[in-house]
Amino acid sequence: MFERRLVSHLDWLLVAAVLALSAVGLAMIYSTTYDVIRGRVGPQFVTQGYALGLGLLAMVICLVVDYRQLAERSLLIYAALALTLVYVLVFGVVRGGSRRWIDLGPMNVQPSEFAKIGLALVLATFFSENRHGARQWRDLLVGALFLGVLAGLVAREPDLGTAVTLAVIFLGSAFAAGLPFRLLGVLALVGVLAAPVAWSFALKDYQRSRIQTFLDPGQDARGAGYQQIQARITVGSGGFAGKGYLQGTQGQYKFLPVAHNDFIYSVLAEELGFVGVLATLGLYLMVILRSLDAAKLAKDRLGAFLVVGLLSGFSFQVVYNIAMSAGLAPVKGLTLPLMSYGGSSIIATLASFGLILNVRMRRFTN
Amino acid sequence: MVVDRRSLPLRLVVFRVLVTAIFLALAVCFWYLQVLKHATYREMAENNHQRTLALRAPRGMLFDRDGRPLVRNRYAFNISLVREQSRDVGQALSRLSRLLGVEEPALRDIVARYRREPSYRPIVLVQDASPAQLAAVTARRLELPEVIVEEVPTRQYPVKELGAHVFGYVGEVTEQQLARAALRDLSRGAIVGQAGLEQQYNALLMGQDGARRVVVNSAGREVETVGELPPAEGRRVRLTIDGDLQRAAEAAFASLGYRGAAIVLDPRSGEVLTLVSLPAYDPNDFVTGIDRATWARLNTDPLRPLQNRAIQGRYSPGSTFKLVVAVAALEEGVATPDFRVHCAGGATFYGRYFQCHLKGGHGTVDMRHAIEKSCNVYFYTLGNLVGVDRLHKWAQALGLAERTGIDLPHEVESIVPSTEWKRRRTGEKWYAGETISVAIGQGQLSVTPIALALTMSTIANGGTRHVPHLVSAVDEGRGWKAVPPPAPRSVIPMRPDHLRALHDGLWLVVNGAGTGGRARITGRDVAGKTGTAQVISIEGGKRAAGRTDRDLRDHGWFVFFAPAHAPELAGVVFAEHAEHGYLAAPIAKHVIETYFAKKEGRPLPAPPAPPAPPAAPATVVAAAAAGGGRAPGPPGPGEP
Repeated sequence: MFERRLVSHLDWLLVAAVLALSAVGLAMIYSTTYDVIRGRVGPQFVTQGYALGLGLLAMVICLVVDYRQLAERSLLIYAALALTLVYVLVFGVVRGGSRRWIDLGPMNVQPSEFAKIGLALVLATFFSENRHGARQWRDLLVGALFLGVLAGLVAREPDLGTAVTLAVIFLGSAFAAGLPFRLLGVLALVGVLAAPVAWSFALKDYQRSRIQTFLDPGQDARGAGYQQIQARITVGSGGFAGKGYLQGTQGQYKFLPVAHNDFIYSVLAEELGFVGVLATLGLYLMVILRSLDAAKLAKDRLGAFLVVGLLSGFSFQVVYNIAMSAGLAPVKGLTLPLMSYGGSSIIATLASFGLILNVRMRRFTN
Repeated sequence: MVVDRRSLPLRLVVFRVLVTAIFLALAVCFWYLQVLKHATYREMAENNHQRTLALRAPRGMLFDRDGRPLVRNRYAFNISLVREQSRDVGQALSRLSRLLGVEEPALRDIVARYRREPSYRPIVLVQDASPAQLAAVTARRLELPEVIVEEVPTRQYPVKELGAHVFGYVGEVTEQQLARAALRDLSRGAIVGQAGLEQQYNALLMGQDGARRVVVNSAGREVETVGELPPAEGRRVRLTIDGDLQRAAEAAFASLGYRGAAIVLDPRSGEVLTLVSLPAYDPNDFVTGIDRATWARLNTDPLRPLQNRAIQGRYSPGSTFKLVVAVAALEEGVATPDFRVHCAGGATFYGRYFQCHLKGGHGTVDMRHAIEKSCNVYFYTLGNLVGVDRLHKWAQALGLAERTGIDLPHEVESIVPSTEWKRRRTGEKWYAGETISVAIGQGQLSVTPIALALTMSTIANGGTRHVPHLVSAVDEGRGWKAVPPPAPRSVIPMRPDHLRALHDGLWLVVNGAGTGGRARITGRDVAGKTGTAQVISIEGGKRAAGRTDRDLRDHGWFVFFAPAHAPELAGVVFAEHAEHGYLAAPIAKHVIETYFAKKEGRPLPAPPAPPAPPAAPATVVAAAAAGGGRAPGPPGPGEP
């Protein structure tokens, strides 16, 4: 199954970029969780270190197994993930008002992170086996059904951010599979028209207030607008060269809540400055563009669709989180892939890159 | 299939372009925030994590003339609320209300008053917290992150009400005061003098508040100190007040059960040795913000404890004004000390009969004996000869007719009429007949105790009108530096023979057959004069007829200096509603005795025994009426 010559087709540049971003992320977690008063490393740093190790393992596994064999079992994987999400809704661990985790003793697992991979896999399989890809209403509806089950379960947790990411994965896969541009336009139109309806009926109060706050953070500077204002101050005060690693006042004095998680990029911008921002933005862009090469080089439609699906979710989260970290988007609990603290996130992200590398590596095999 | 194969690369290019465009946009946004707007956000970040905390400067201490501390400072603990650190101010206040034993609405009022201040600035909820309150709060530090305990220097005044009206009190600067030039630089909540010396010398006493710049974390806890500007203590000030005399005078008032005022000056310099006004207040009540109930009580008290009677009370001088008449007559050459008048119990001037207080009359008296006996007819005659304008002139020369210029705020002007004064006041001309009443201290005379004390000082020293003053030295940081006394307002040397006659007369009042016998001290040659200030004039009596709640008994004056021929003390005792001046004399006597005892190193005397029975004033009147012979030769009713 695994041939030595495959290693020579591995995209080492992509691997290096992904590992570099993970290392920067780990360093920023060290900085944001460092206890200034007691002079101690935060426990999150250690946890993230272990998760990174597990993530690399997951990446290797996803690399070794032929993605086509995974595609053959995609429905099974999908069903298992859906059941796990149901399990979460019933027996999950509640933290911060959301039921997202399964308690596995030493570690909590967040299945919705893995649902992204599952969805990308099942959609790529479905669209590639389908003669018309995603060009017909009927096929799109089936794809949307795959999305709906997972996104509905995730949204129930509630984890709206991940649900939206799943929707983006669906759009990405369908787009790669030939979703007509005209339909894309219609979908966009429907989205715009549905926004007011969703505003009134679908959104919860706290979600509405978050969007209101985003539009005018000053009206609630101590409450919901606080994070957004502080995020902008954190980024802006970093300046061109930054305040220096571990020297950021905003992050070190905890003006920014959950800095090691949702706002890790703000602290990076504060401590490493615009220089650091350009470097990391460059790395992320390189990761995305190199991965797109994998889609282009892919031997079959399955591989291409899989890469684009995974990449859509990844790109969406990166862009949204970075925009949010500068106070440019409403505050939403979306992690920055490869950097934010979170075991499941880093493992699932590295696993996705395993799959992407997999597609490129096997471009010549039958 | 074929279409797919063609379409995919195109779609990947779309993806690629889209992502690249978004990343470029992000880079531009970060450029805008981090490079273009950097200065703004850097400042905001600094405001975020740095705080300037005020370090209140202790006010300068006040010492008495012997260098003993009168007003000091102690450290008090304030319990304050930092709204910025609070999730729910209302909830925190209701908890604090229970913990501190303070009514919740009161706490809410305080917070509401400061709502416009920056939210990181602590709002003081409890000043000078009790140990129990401090313990309650510190034990719950973690549950109440918005509550801090601040240590602040706080004024400490001597036990109870000693010298209250001299020191005055301190309090938070008011909005109106902040608008004034002198206090414009202060911030809200600063403590400034609000009365007395505290107000008069506020600039000297206040010192310079310091500041500490600290780094705080988002929970508001201090992480480190960036810089500190230590506070500069206010100047230490040495007063001319003699603590022993001040205490003696107040003790004598208390022991005899009188209210009123007393001032003792050094006639050689104008230094104020004692200044009493009773009832007083406890300045300690003000240092940590006076509570409403106490403030309301002080303000509505009919006895007006907030008024400094010594410089703000205006009363009719009664017979003490005869001294001014005597000085004017002598110095204007209208009369000599040997000028004699026959008193038959009254005399007619301008068609109206004016009584003397002694029905049978004093017979023929010269000036010495006229002063001794306080003969009205003698002074009617002199006053008539001198005229009101020359009386006014000499009242002014002696220090009775205007403000004395004492270094205390809000001194009121004493009024001694003149023809010009009346024209200005009422537009009417002065009738010569009015002068007759004025000559015995009646009519439109209205003087402050301090002005009368200054008059005695000027008579005692032979014509030098000093400016009474309370500060003798200031410590500018390099030891005591004497403050030069203010220059005398006027020096009009009186002829020695005139002076001797006046001093003899006043000596006789105390040591002869006069009304001041209760101030007699063997070997001390106390000179003095009593006076009675009518509380209601005849027409005023009608007006006040229905108001029986007000004490309508006359006030008593006793003015004095000692020793008679080389005076070291001069002063006045004003006893409110004492009915007669001789009842005020024991207070003066006690002060004079204390002065000499201290000077000669003897133990200080005990305050005078209270009158027996020491009951309500009404009983005293009854007792005095019943045992009329007990008093040493007091004149009958009607003595002015």
